[in-house]
Amino acid sequence: MSTLSPELIPNPDEELIYAGEPNEETTGGSQWREAVRTLRRSPLAIIGMIMIAFFLVVAIFAPWIAPYDPGDGQWLNQITPGNYPGPSAEHWLGLDQLGRDVFSRLVWGARQSLIIGVVSLVIGASAGILLGLIAGAFGGWIDTVCMRIVDIMLSIPGLLFAIGLAALLGQSLTSVMIAIAVVNVPIFARLLRGQMLGQRRADYVLAATSVGVSRSGIVFRHVLPNSLTAVIVQGTLTLATSIIDAAGLAFLGLSSPDPSVAEWGRMLTDAQSALSTAPMLAILPGVAIVITALGFTLVGEQMREALDPKYRR
Amino acid sequence: MSLLVARGIEVHFPIRKGVLFERQVGAVKAVDGVDLQIERGTTYGLVGESGCGKSTLGRALLRLEEPTAGTVRFDGVDLLGLGYAAMRRIRSRMQMIFQDPMASLDPRQNVESILTEPLTAHDVPGGKQAHRARVRELLEWVGLPANALSRYPHEFSGGQRQRIGIARAIALGPELIVADEPVSALDVSVQAQVVNLLEELQERLGLTYLVIAHDLAVVRHISDTVGVMYLGGIVEQAPADALYDRPLHPYTIALMSAVPIPDPEVEDARERIFLSGDLPSPADPPTGCRFHTRCPYRQPTRCDTERPVLREVLPGQQVACHYAEQILSGRIQPAQVEVAPATTDGAASTG
Repeated sequence: MSTLSPELIPNPDEELIYAGEPNEETTGGSQWREAVRTLRRSPLAIIGMIMIAFFLVVAIFAPWIAPYDPGDGQWLNQITPGNYPGPSAEHWLGLDQLGRDVFSRLVWGARQSLIIGVVSLVIGASAGILLGLIAGAFGGWIDTVCMRIVDIMLSIPGLLFAIGLAALLGQSLTSVMIAIAVVNVPIFARLLRGQMLGQRRADYVLAATSVGVSRSGIVFRHVLPNSLTAVIVQGTLTLATSIIDAAGLAFLGLSSPDPSVAEWGRMLTDAQSALSTAPMLAILPGVAIVITALGFTLVGEQMREALDPKYRR
Repeated sequence: MSLLVARGIEVHFPIRKGVLFERQVGAVKAVDGVDLQIERGTTYGLVGESGCGKSTLGRALLRLEEPTAGTVRFDGVDLLGLGYAAMRRIRSRMQMIFQDPMASLDPRQNVESILTEPLTAHDVPGGKQAHRARVRELLEWVGLPANALSRYPHEFSGGQRQRIGIARAIALGPELIVADEPVSALDVSVQAQVVNLLEELQERLGLTYLVIAHDLAVVRHISDTVGVMYLGGIVEQAPADALYDRPLHPYTIALMSAVPIPDPEVEDARERIFLSGDLPSPADPPTGCRFHTRCPYRQPTRCDTERPVLREVLPGQQVACHYAEQILSGRIQPAQVEVAPATTDGAASTG
């Protein structure tokens, strides 16, 4: 038997020296920590995060930030048709047609948007993840059945479904959230299933099988954690569309039947009649919607870039 | 008794067509009737060009890929007859080392978690304390520092990652290790280190190896027996030195003639045998001898009608060729293979 020439091994220990010295930049970093590092260097992500942080603070501390009750129309006597009081020291952003403080309504609207966005996302994503997980973990006919369910959900137009649901459950916040959640289910189910199918043939899954890890261990310890990255990114992006969808449904009058509830979408509807005389009444909630959705989209996109190996290096 | 005996292994991947009603229109015959036997404590080297089915065969032997036909006996146990639980249990005795060490390590697991996983999966007694001690011992065996435990795969170099993969493979004290291209993704200098590590571990732990590779030098270096694979079948099998000194199958002869010799005079004088054409599709393999479409020794009879079986031509050397004796004695000479002329005028050659 021949031997490999010793010249091929310049220094057998050379390779090991690298492991010996801990390097600040690379030690103890999981994929997430590295992603956070990348995000911190991205100006777009920082702008997005500031937007989100601003929105969150306003939504959470709405009762303390808003100077007045959003449904309080006690300044109705200051309103004359075609003339709405503009910004003043008392009312920073003026009054609307019903004599309510616009600034207070915007602030409370943030809270409403956050609730709708988060609740519908949690419901939709959970159901979607469950479906995708079952389909991706078992495969075969179970996969086919799950994906046909998803196809059926996809074939229902979201708006029609929301209107139907409002007719069925009554016009309420709950029906809006359920409608948005249902629209989100197929997105998450398909994404997770696709990711899991891709991971299932990966070498490290084969390696885990080979060392004798059980089927559930492989799914929950290897395949699922490695598939969730894309789902989390999608969640951030979906929060943005959920907020826009909620505003859209509220604009169509499908949200809470109580007119005193402050909501950006409804503020847009109400402002329609006064569009020529007081355009600010429509522009302000519109800008609020754009800023919030843009914040989540920016962070989501940057997160995708930081976490997706295809964008790496 | 041989540690591993495989008979008539076939792995066929179905090709399906049709949108609504799927039907099978054919099969990719990745492995098509392989007999293989590995003695305890020895190394079996499997060589062949890419796409010949050697990786699939390796996986099929460990039942990581379900063979569509054949039997695999591991230490007398019929693997293909085992149920899920029994198969999982016996996996502790057979392990795999993968080609791409990065892809075979879960990027989310640190080294400690990677190496502990096999121990917990098989409920190795002793609890956490014993597992920690075992993991440290494994690291030492494969030559990694103890501070590697809390690190993640992406923080290591290629050679170190492969060491982690090797440590995982030996964690449960297996008897058989299938190493699928264990060094081909590594730098040449690191290759030698990993090969030496594999040999060291074999000596220390009494391991039996099936090494799959396309690097002929590596295979010769570590193997006791070498099998040459072509298009899903083994065409020649012999002790390593015999095979390299005196290849008998035309494919092996061509393969060996492609190995450069580090002596310019010998290199200039020797005859190279060129193969024409590409590897045929395993979905539609040639009739008769799989190699007859590219064989420089091809004869007008038998080659394209009758599939040759492995038979012992010289002591210990098995060849799947109808004319092995005549080729050996020199009665059949290789036909001159036309090397396609390099055309400067592209349009002329396309007609």
